[in-house]
Amino acid sequence: MSLPQGFEALGRFVDTWAVEGAHNRDGLRTHQSAEARQAFYDAMQPLLLPALDRLDETPLDRHDAGEKALMLLTLSYAHVALAVEVQGPDEAKHAANRQHLHITQATADA
Amino acid sequence: MNAPPGPFEPITDDSVAFLGTRPIPAKPYFDPAWFDLEREAVFRRSWLFIGHVCEVPEVGSFIRRDLEIFGASLLIIRGKDGEVRGFHNVCPHRGTQLVDDAAGRRATFSCPYHMWTFGQDGALLSAPDFERFGLEKKDCSLKQVSTEVCAGMIFVWLGKDAPPLRDWLGELADQMQTLPVARATTFSEYSYTINANWKLTYDNFQENYHLRFIHPRTGQAAFAPENPFGYPKEFGFHGLHRTQTIWSNPDPQSKPLQTTAFAKLMPGAMADDLLSTPYGRQYFALFPSFFMLGTPLQNFMHMVYPISATQSRGVIRLFWIAGDRNASERFGREAVMGTLRDVHAEDVAVIEAGQRGLSSGALEHIHFQSQEALCRHLFNGVEAAVEAYQQEQKA
Repeated sequence: MSLPQGFEALGRFVDTWAVEGAHNRDGLRTHQSAEARQAFYDAMQPLLLPALDRLDETPLDRHDAGEKALMLLTLSYAHVALAVEVQGPDEAKHAANRQHLHITQATADA
Repeated sequence: MNAPPGPFEPITDDSVAFLGTRPIPAKPYFDPAWFDLEREAVFRRSWLFIGHVCEVPEVGSFIRRDLEIFGASLLIIRGKDGEVRGFHNVCPHRGTQLVDDAAGRRATFSCPYHMWTFGQDGALLSAPDFERFGLEKKDCSLKQVSTEVCAGMIFVWLGKDAPPLRDWLGELADQMQTLPVARATTFSEYSYTINANWKLTYDNFQENYHLRFIHPRTGQAAFAPENPFGYPKEFGFHGLHRTQTIWSNPDPQSKPLQTTAFAKLMPGAMADDLLSTPYGRQYFALFPSFFMLGTPLQNFMHMVYPISATQSRGVIRLFWIAGDRNASERFGREAVMGTLRDVHAEDVAVIEAGQRGLSSGALEHIHFQSQEALCRHLFNGVEAAVEAYQQEQKA
């Protein structure tokens, strides 16, 4: 499996961050280190809009393995960006609060 | 379309003076005896949100829902005639719960104990050796619960003499009909269990007084120097229900993720004509413990289900029309759900801290200021219902 052309730089994040399930993506946000979150965020941020533009070219149900992995990276970014952009130094405290709210359904998981 | 934001003019104290200014007794927020009264006076005599029609899309589709306050398990089933009906998930033979699955699709519903089998309309179809009971099948249907639909949402009434749902909702029924929820085909959901009374929990979401203290990061877009508490523009009182119009900050301090997420949801919202609702900034609070924000790009509901005097369960759903139509929409929906959940996550600890304080019995009263008028309106409604119930019991 390889990511679509132009997004090869994200390949090193696939094993960790390209995961199915919003609940699991939220779990990654919580359990990965601040350094790992920041590294993922820094790599994804400039490529987010190009990635979505690229993925929008193909219907979701026709994404190949590489496109599916890129899609999952963008979804993990949606969680991690909340930690980096919004919570910042309060992320650890926020994670303790967040554990009470269980994601039971997300459209990406349908 | 929504009106463009103008200078903030706070709601005046005089406009909510009719609700009174008295201190509120603390005991109803932790007392089990009061909670028992609320069960009968409030929750058994109210339409309660139980689900959405998109969960029962086809004939035979069903959902099972538990209402802890009644110790009840309900089955919501779409019948052959397209009607959505509610039943107690209880076999009339000897009380066994029929269905364990949370959702599914079935032609019939059979009790595992002695195989009494019911149709999608609750009628008893067959029962082994039934002749030995000396009963008529028509007298052995599943016990039905009053069930009606408004704006795509399914409500149940557990008590007797249910009024028509639309009469109960009044003008709010037509207003909610303009929101995405009325056309939703799917939703995102998260839930929580909280060690707090249902009113204390629900009240947290009825006032903005706490925003800047509890949500200094996630709530930044909601307040500004001209409205430092992010107070609403308007309150509305509709019998037992209430509304508020959320203030639109002309210069919200949104983060890049939030800006991108909403931008990615906009094409779908425009295609679905979601932006034309005049109630996009309206908060609908339906008695006793349901509220919904009409925001077209983030139309969400929050229902607080009581479990005990000091424990509740919250369910939050963001409603969407159609499944994810492309990658951008999928990303936007995931990001918007996460954003909203981050806000709600910050509320749990402080609500539980409030419950610990109240349950200690240290206070005889609590206090609501004029910008907490919706909390006062709820308590007034609950207290009136409880007092009326007590008078009935004495008569």
